[in-house]
Amino acid sequence: MLTKKLPPLNSFLSLVSRRASHVTRQQYDVIVVGGGHAGTEAAAAAARVGAKTLLVSQKIQTIGALSCNPSLGGVGKGQLVREVDALDGLCGRAGDWAGIHFSILNRSKGPAVWGPRAQLDRQRYREFIQSELLSTPRLTVLEGSVEELLVSETNPEQPGHHRVTGILLANGSHPVSASSVILTTGTFLSGSLFIGQSTSPGGRIGDAPSSSGLSHTLKERLGLRVGRLRTGTPPRILRDSVDFSLAVVQPPDGHPTPFSFLNTRTHCKPEEQLPCHLTYTTPGVERVVKDSLHLNCHIQEDAKGPRYCPSIESRVLRFPGRRHQVWLEPEGLTSDLLYPQGLSMTMPPDVQLSLIRQIPALHRAKIHTHGYGVQYDFVCPTQLSPALQVKNTQGLFLAGQINGTTGYEEAAAQGLWAGVNAARCALSMPTVSLSRTESYIGVLIDDLVSRGVTEPYRMFTSRAEFRTALRPDNADMRLTLKGFEEVGCVSTLRYQEAVRVRDSLQDAQATLQALSLSSNSWKKQLPDIQISEVKNTVMTGMEVLQYNNVSFEMLASAFPESLSRHMEFSQRLKIEAVYRPHCNLQKKEIERIQKEENLLLPHDMDYLSLPVSMSQEVREILDRVRPSTLGAATRLQGITPAAIVHLLNYVRSAELRERRKHRKQQKEEREEELCAAKASLP
Amino acid sequence: MLHSHVTSTLADSRISRGTPPCRFLSTCDGLPVGLADAETIFALSSGHGRCGVAVVRASGPASATALRCMAGLSRSLPPPRTALLRSITDSQSKEVLDRGLVFWFPAPHSFTGEDSVEFHIHGGPAVITAVLQALGSVPGMRPAEAGEFTRRAFQAGKLDLTEVEGLGDLIHAETEAQRRQALRQMSGELGHLYQDWTHKLKRCLAHVEAFIDFSEDELIEDGVLNQVDRWVCDLQAEMEQHLKDERRGERLRSGVQVVIAGATNAGKSSLLNTLCQRPAAIVSPIAGTTRDIVETALDIGGFPVLLSDTAGLRESQDLVEREGVRRARERVEQADLTLVVVDCAHLPSDAQQAAAFLQEHLRSVLPTQEQPETVFAADRFLLLLNKTDLLPEEQRQKLDRELRRVSGFPPVCLISCHTNEGLQDFLTVLHSSVKTLCGDPLSGAPTLTQARHRAHLQQCFAALAQYQRYRDIDLALAAEGVRLALTSLGRITGRVGAEEILDIIFKDFCIGK
Repeated sequence: MLTKKLPPLNSFLSLVSRRASHVTRQQYDVIVVGGGHAGTEAAAAAARVGAKTLLVSQKIQTIGALSCNPSLGGVGKGQLVREVDALDGLCGRAGDWAGIHFSILNRSKGPAVWGPRAQLDRQRYREFIQSELLSTPRLTVLEGSVEELLVSETNPEQPGHHRVTGILLANGSHPVSASSVILTTGTFLSGSLFIGQSTSPGGRIGDAPSSSGLSHTLKERLGLRVGRLRTGTPPRILRDSVDFSLAVVQPPDGHPTPFSFLNTRTHCKPEEQLPCHLTYTTPGVERVVKDSLHLNCHIQEDAKGPRYCPSIESRVLRFPGRRHQVWLEPEGLTSDLLYPQGLSMTMPPDVQLSLIRQIPALHRAKIHTHGYGVQYDFVCPTQLSPALQVKNTQGLFLAGQINGTTGYEEAAAQGLWAGVNAARCALSMPTVSLSRTESYIGVLIDDLVSRGVTEPYRMFTSRAEFRTALRPDNADMRLTLKGFEEVGCVSTLRYQEAVRVRDSLQDAQATLQALSLSSNSWKKQLPDIQISEVKNTVMTGMEVLQYNNVSFEMLASAFPESLSRHMEFSQRLKIEAVYRPHCNLQKKEIERIQKEENLLLPHDMDYLSLPVSMSQEVREILDRVRPSTLGAATRLQGITPAAIVHLLNYVRSAELRERRKHRKQQKEEREEELCAAKASLP
Repeated sequence: MLHSHVTSTLADSRISRGTPPCRFLSTCDGLPVGLADAETIFALSSGHGRCGVAVVRASGPASATALRCMAGLSRSLPPPRTALLRSITDSQSKEVLDRGLVFWFPAPHSFTGEDSVEFHIHGGPAVITAVLQALGSVPGMRPAEAGEFTRRAFQAGKLDLTEVEGLGDLIHAETEAQRRQALRQMSGELGHLYQDWTHKLKRCLAHVEAFIDFSEDELIEDGVLNQVDRWVCDLQAEMEQHLKDERRGERLRSGVQVVIAGATNAGKSSLLNTLCQRPAAIVSPIAGTTRDIVETALDIGGFPVLLSDTAGLRESQDLVEREGVRRARERVEQADLTLVVVDCAHLPSDAQQAAAFLQEHLRSVLPTQEQPETVFAADRFLLLLNKTDLLPEEQRQKLDRELRRVSGFPPVCLISCHTNEGLQDFLTVLHSSVKTLCGDPLSGAPTLTQARHRAHLQQCFAALAQYQRYRDIDLALAAEGVRLALTSLGRITGRVGAEEILDIIFKDFCIGK
């Protein structure tokens, strides 16, 4: 329930701005570098798991800031938010607190691909995140700049393998030590900002660039492969200068749907919500882009930008002669700024103004902050394990844009999972991974670590092969129970709620299944619907609920004594009934993948000299990617089925050898005991 | 009339071996593993070609049903692992197809560890085709993929570790065989048709996915789904027509594909003419005489062989000859067996140098995929040193000795098409190679592939109906239908990955928020 009162921001700041000297004397389990979506989720998750955690951010005020678009969720991304929430993460509840315009995208396209989305009030979002972090036990927040990542000397027996020992702060003389460090540096790793023909170092306008020491350590000391990506942000426009009469109004949903499983309503009242506006580009926009290309160095660089969130420059260049959509989104309830979604640009400031004025609703518009581009380094994520730990550096975890992704939700999902594992690692618990068969987070991480990225990675529902099972409505059933029982990142309160939901759903489904009538009787009970069974076959309530025009409410009013108590879950039951037959069909395939994912490949396997018949090409791929499971190996390009059999055989014989060794040991121990017993006899 | 095959050769000999059950299910691109586990598979288990008895095997839960309805055993199943002479009928048309022996191997005492049945029938192609088709019409049955029986045995823990090691090699050989077979089929009219369908389905899926993932934020034209509706409708009509009219299907080339390849003027065409005992190909001392493929059907010791003579491999400026060389290389890739012909006169006189020369030469003739030093390559090539009549006797013997000594060489025959010297030995080697290849039911067995294609096409057709059923109700489930259709067709034409779909989306639509 959203009953919580946010503490005033200044009291928060005074509490967290501890003296660096105090902090540096401490020993932490986990240090998180960066306070964006990945960093905040990581810090909160690590603390929830039980680790003593330190979050270091350049500026306390920017913790939880929305650097780009003022919105959360969407198709595919909304699924990620629901899953982060199901694992007790922050962003779902923050979205419910800060949302000022809620809508479910894809409402007409089937519940599996519904996309919960909200426009956010930037200030409220930041406040919620900061207040959550403040009230998280075991978590300390420190304002500071990280000068250097500390790693131990290479073990002579394991060349190229390191261990994280802590960080060095820019002005703190003492190192801060920790067992795990999570880097969530976003676009700050060797970041450069572009506007027109000028460039400057940095990851976000208004913030200092991060130290070069970090990037040096990653590349030179740890030998990590990095690539370069680019992104951009649009100019912010003064709301008063926009002529809304020339744009189409887009109202929010009348009844806002919260992101979080814990919330039944949003902070913003339905009637308080703000609209968005839709407008379009004109041929004038295309002309301005083409005339100013020579003044635009970002667009000429060859770093890869996202195909699906391109700048206005690349949109008109790739698809000329068309009109493109521009969404005018509010930045907050009291903000006087608008965010023009679709107008990310990097041309010189004066050209930016003449470009936006080519759009009818913006013909008098004034720019508050100009758009700019960012180029930054990312670490090729195939060098990470499914726990998001750098394979050659024990205790070093990476999450967010540093792994080549784009988007708040993708960052939050990785942050949470890196936080969980960094904490488990520090507390000497085994790391955990999520399968792509059970979650979008699993799909995201598996895609990253087994395939890598060539452009900024964004989540789409089409990336999930078991999309019909991974729905926004059932994220809690997929993850909350596991999150409490196996992972340890879910609070008791949330767990108890999930158990209640599970029991009620099971009870309701059993009741529906037991409600077994002939189709004639069903026709009598529900005269308005067309039941196509001609013969007098027996149908269960679950089967009848699959019919397109049958709702749970209809069944409940026909059988009030057994069903009306389940009205709370009417929508979930309907969705479950429709999807279950399809999910059952996929079950075998899901089980196969899970079995393969459970077969771990040894980390230090010498693929190049494995004594089996395998082509050099296959050996090189395996050696380069080092898949952590057999499942990941099967999804690699260029890996033959025969190679998979050899790998399996290797794993199985290793298991067998292990078992034999174990049995031999046991036998020896028993014999020793026997001898000892004999010796003790008089 | 069949003789008394009382104990089946295929009856499981490994029953008593207590290997631990394997937890793993192997996977191959394009092979229906996993989802298909509950399915019952069937295949011709004996080789094709001229043979008295053919063995058709089925494995999986529906085996018993198949046995009951095809062997007229309505009440009880026969005693396990015992031969029973029955009339074998088509369960739908009730037509008697053959009279033969049936075996029932209940789980777990079978090769695969599943319920299995065997039909020992007469070996004629018509009978085999009819029985395979009848099996295909039993609900829950589908034709097996290459190596699927072995794989199931593996899954059931029926193979021990050394056998698993062998399985890797087997799967390699089988996927290779499948690849060759697919290459052969895909270059034909039928292949173009399937490729075209795959292309259209990819497009359909990409457009539905674009509509799902992007239409809320982006300018995706309203007509996108209507366009997909039309494509799906057209595809269904085409597939239905194709499935209905069996005669329209292109006849796959039957028999073992043997290709003669080598440098110009090595005597390839002479070899073809010698083998088919007529001047099928033009022979001349001018290098580059043969330009196109010359094909001839042969019977080698009772086995059907399709022998092709190809253009000599050399760099050429002549456009026609270059095309001939391209075709020759393509044919070598598709071949089950390649006869590499070398002119003895070009060999260095030193025997050791000659071996090195031949190694290099083989490398230039063989397709690039074969380059890794695989054990199997040897089964697929014969090295023919032609024009031995031009070689002094002493040198010939030295060469022969040296080549036998060097390992990693395919079988070598020294022949002279001019004097017919060594020809008899060569024919013996060729015969045994062809026999081995024929024992493998994979090499060019048209009925089997046709049955498999048919099953996949039917699945594809059925999946498209799911699109239509859910089109207006639930687009996620409708898209699932197109995905399933594409997966089914992909089992004939090759797998389609998620990235490929995204590529089409970004090519066809301007996505960007």
